[in-house]
Amino acid sequence: MVIQDLKVLICDDSMFARKKMNMTISALGINEVFEAADGEEAVAKYKENKPDVVFMDIIMPRITGIEALKQIIEFDPDAKVVMASSVGTQGHLKEALRAGAADFLQKPISDEDTRAILENAAKGVL
Amino acid sequence: MFAQFFGGYLLHKKLVTSEDLTQAFEDKKHTRMRLGVLAINAGLMTADQVEHVNITQQSVDKRFGDLAVELGYVTEEQVDKLLSQQPTEYLLLGQTLVNNGVLSNAQFEQAINDYKTDNELTDSDLEGSKNESLNKLVTEFYHLEEASNARMLTDYVTMMFKNIIRFIDGDFTPLEAIVIREFDAETLIEQRITGTYDAVTCITAEKDVYFEFAKRFAGENFGDITGFENETVGEFLNVVNGLFAVNQSNEGGAELTMTPQQFIQDKKISFEKPAFCIPVVFSFGEVDFIVSTE
Repeated sequence: MVIQDLKVLICDDSMFARKKMNMTISALGINEVFEAADGEEAVAKYKENKPDVVFMDIIMPRITGIEALKQIIEFDPDAKVVMASSVGTQGHLKEALRAGAADFLQKPISDEDTRAILENAAKGVL
Repeated sequence: MFAQFFGGYLLHKKLVTSEDLTQAFEDKKHTRMRLGVLAINAGLMTADQVEHVNITQQSVDKRFGDLAVELGYVTEEQVDKLLSQQPTEYLLLGQTLVNNGVLSNAQFEQAINDYKTDNELTDSDLEGSKNESLNKLVTEFYHLEEASNARMLTDYVTMMFKNIIRFIDGDFTPLEAIVIREFDAETLIEQRITGTYDAVTCITAEKDVYFEFAKRFAGENFGDITGFENETVGEFLNVVNGLFAVNQSNEGGAELTMTPQQFIQDKKISFEKPAFCIPVVFSFGEVDFIVSTE
């Protein structure tokens, strides 16, 4: 798959963080980019759009990113969910990886980090 | 970070005004270091000797370094060494204040020596950005050694300033902290840190200053989106707190997490425990950073 054909879902309660990442992803030529502002919306948008990659914040209102991750993995065990959070403590890392996260990015997230994740996803090695 | 705290020190000692510093931070971008200030900082020449060379230069067409060597103040090797050094930010600030006529060479000499002595800083401390030196500076400046959670507060405030420089700008002056129990906020963002220990953290400013701070962090033009400033300042606080939590987790084994940020407008908020309010003056206005450990 080429990177431009990927479908990407960005889940973050910060509109600023979503817009910033959306700009980076769109600049790579990816057209199908969806956004969710909390964990519940993330699960719903995943089920609706079946994205190839999900960038998931952890600290969000209603349900957290970890809980949303668990629900997505339950729905689709092959889901590629990358935690993109400000709190990359050992505890959060372990919890996310146990719940099935494909990778973990510590905020602030550079454009290079985002691109590397998407390139790996396109190659099928995420 | 030493430049900003050196500025704060000069302000506290009433050697400069806030306006002098704002102007100097702007002018500093185009400042070139002069040998005289470098020699004073290195302790190789006194301000009187620098003045003597400056005055002599008016009647003799020679470079400062050559004259200083001829007059026996420094050796050629010392001049070469001084000229080969990369100027540090705090020295550029000092040079700019001298250039702008705010400080004389003698005042700069006194101030830089007092600054180093008061903060127990060596030249190598000031040239680098070692965490230990930065922590020492922050502890001294804010008298944090007397606080109940001194270590945590010091780590937090140091992390905060590093990220202000990284994401906002270096053109600021930290003012002395005040201890508060409540705050009458015009615009404020709050995030709680919970876990091994609990803390409340806030960023607050008047609306237009808050907006400018947000614009600095965003870097791009999101200014036309409603609520942009709260989202952006909230994300800045989130990033600082997250990096702090990771740092505490990696270095001290503390397990911390954060709550979603809360936006507060035109409301008085209270803190259960005394809170440190750290005012920081930027060229566009004052932003207050509040941290209270519970």
